[in-house]
Amino acid sequence: MPAETGPTAEPTTGPTQTERWTPRRGATGRLLAAELRLVLGRRRNQVFVAGLGLVPALLGLMLYLTRDDPRTSEGPGFLTQATNNGVFLVVASLFMCLPFLLPLTVALATGDAVAGEASAGTLRYLLVLPVSRSRLLFAKAVGALALVAVAVGVVATVGLVVGAALFGLHDVVLLSGTTVPLAEGMLRVLGVVVYIGLSLTGLVVVGLFVSTLTEVPIAAMVATVVVAVVSTILDTLPALSAVHPYLLTHYWYGFAELLRLEVDWNTVGTGLGLQVAWVVVFGAFAWSRFTQSNISS
Amino acid sequence: MTSPTISRHARWGVPTLAVSAVVAGFALQPLLAAASAADLPETTPEQLVAQVLAADPQPLSGTVVYTADLGLPNIAALAGVAGLNSAMTSADPTNLLAGTSTLKVWTDADSRSRVTLQGGTSEFSVVHDATQAWTYSSHDQTVTHYTVDDPARLAELGQTEVPVPADLPTPPRAADDLLAELGQHSTLTLDATTTVAGRAAYQLVLTPKSTTTLVGRITVAIDGKTFSPLKVAVWSRDDAQNPAVELGFTDVTFATPSDQVLTWSTPAGAQVEEVVVPLPTDAEIAEAAAEAQDLAPTVTVSGTGWDQVVTITGLPVDELMGLPGTGPDRSAHRHPLPGLAQDYAQMPEEAPQIAQSLLAGLSTEVDGGRLISSSLVNVLLLDDGRVLVGAVPGDTLLAAAR
Repeated sequence: MPAETGPTAEPTTGPTQTERWTPRRGATGRLLAAELRLVLGRRRNQVFVAGLGLVPALLGLMLYLTRDDPRTSEGPGFLTQATNNGVFLVVASLFMCLPFLLPLTVALATGDAVAGEASAGTLRYLLVLPVSRSRLLFAKAVGALALVAVAVGVVATVGLVVGAALFGLHDVVLLSGTTVPLAEGMLRVLGVVVYIGLSLTGLVVVGLFVSTLTEVPIAAMVATVVVAVVSTILDTLPALSAVHPYLLTHYWYGFAELLRLEVDWNTVGTGLGLQVAWVVVFGAFAWSRFTQSNISS
Repeated sequence: MTSPTISRHARWGVPTLAVSAVVAGFALQPLLAAASAADLPETTPEQLVAQVLAADPQPLSGTVVYTADLGLPNIAALAGVAGLNSAMTSADPTNLLAGTSTLKVWTDADSRSRVTLQGGTSEFSVVHDATQAWTYSSHDQTVTHYTVDDPARLAELGQTEVPVPADLPTPPRAADDLLAELGQHSTLTLDATTTVAGRAAYQLVLTPKSTTTLVGRITVAIDGKTFSPLKVAVWSRDDAQNPAVELGFTDVTFATPSDQVLTWSTPAGAQVEEVVVPLPTDAEIAEAAAEAQDLAPTVTVSGTGWDQVVTITGLPVDELMGLPGTGPDRSAHRHPLPGLAQDYAQMPEEAPQIAQSLLAGLSTEVDGGRLISSSLVNVLLLDDGRVLVGAVPGDTLLAAAR
């Protein structure tokens, strides 16, 4: 691949320009800052996140216009609650995005992280940086996680603002029918947002691993989405109930526990622990693959 | 600075270590849960039964998991095909035949309790407070409030139902009676102590003496401290590995739940339906008893003990069998819990056809009718309107039908 074409678009700032390079503190910090600037500054990522932000806006508008239609109450979970209380628009929007749009966000973030750089020919410039590959991979993971966190945050924030504007914010009625003050309800919904964000970490690391396997970013992205979708499908097959508790997506909807009268911290903890397990295993795989000398660029 | 390439050992060692650490973590989990060794004082089945009967109801809160594996065809898939889809609520009634349902229970062992059926992202709650009860479905935010028309009468009925006999049966005596009755057809033994929901528990095993029944054994785990039953499992004769039906705590705390859990306040914005349950007068009770007498000839029991076969006549079987028949007015058959029915069944108008196709999927054609065969119970629906039910093989039912 011609060396001249790649790096201009990607601001690989920092250490490369420093002739008198000596390892010193702050190198990882600058690497992370550069990666975050790169990921969050990329135009297609911004457009995608803005598009995700439209989901709660459109959902809220749709619910507002059809609120008198009795069929509204037949929608999937949390839609009915949203018409009574804007806080639930946050939950309803995330619930809508969770099966496909959020995995797609993860795929977008991780597909670009390594495979995208390899395809654009910029990976080799990253690899010649006097930074260990482990740190480089870590920076890539943080960049991908940041994009996912921003996406979840945007959906939640737009949901809250639109929900408050259209339906108002009231004391929160839990799934158990108990009413809790708005402050506690908001705290629980914040917990839901954080849980959903953390639920995606396993997929982020799986996506990062897939990204180290190929030079074709689209392949990495498709594979990541397929992992999430296949995991969801396997989760519905009764014959496989023995493996269900270990599936990546099995506890994704565990966020509902935070909206019950007595929060089942067991389920919440198990769900997060499962993500940790996936992160550890596929993090190790990705590290092993990425630190191999023969990685292509 | 580390070199860009990592040693070959680390490259393979780190993933191997990660995988083994995670596998070990998962493998260790049940071991940790079972760490509280079950060292309970020795006892006999007779003593244990007496202790269970003597034990007071305990205030508790806990999670109950119900699992059924009756060896029926996949009823959820059948229901989906038939158009009976409640996928999004994910707490559907077909789980009672195959699958798992999770319930949460809280009770103060006196007059107040709360039971919730947990869906993936929904919940159905039943809150009971002395003479009132509420159900709440999070799916469509409906409340049904049940009250009795005359609370004083309820207390009166409670009185009449439990007349104080001259010789009050003390728990040991009741236990003797129960054991004598059980002993006729079953043997009662004690299995090794076990751990249920992290509590040490005795395990009573009830084994039918009959060798022709489908029921292999029934195990009941009894808490070693409070003598409350913690888990009941029914095992079929065919499958010694997994129980056919199991109902038990996965987590339990014996303490009075908080007031917040046990009291109900109707949330703003919910639709409320008021249902006043009329209490029968003495005359009505007598009338109902007389009716029950009339009904009795339609139900006959043959066989003894575990091999009993119950024959019921006069059921509208032909309607189910797909034969022309006058369907009952559906509005007359109102479900006692409208909220539950709406939330978890959502019966479409074509319910009879659905029932037919469900039956077709569940049962097999036999001589003179259809047989629904499960690992514990067989049901024979005959074309002549008789229904035979028994915990016996299908052939036994067919023989009894002749």
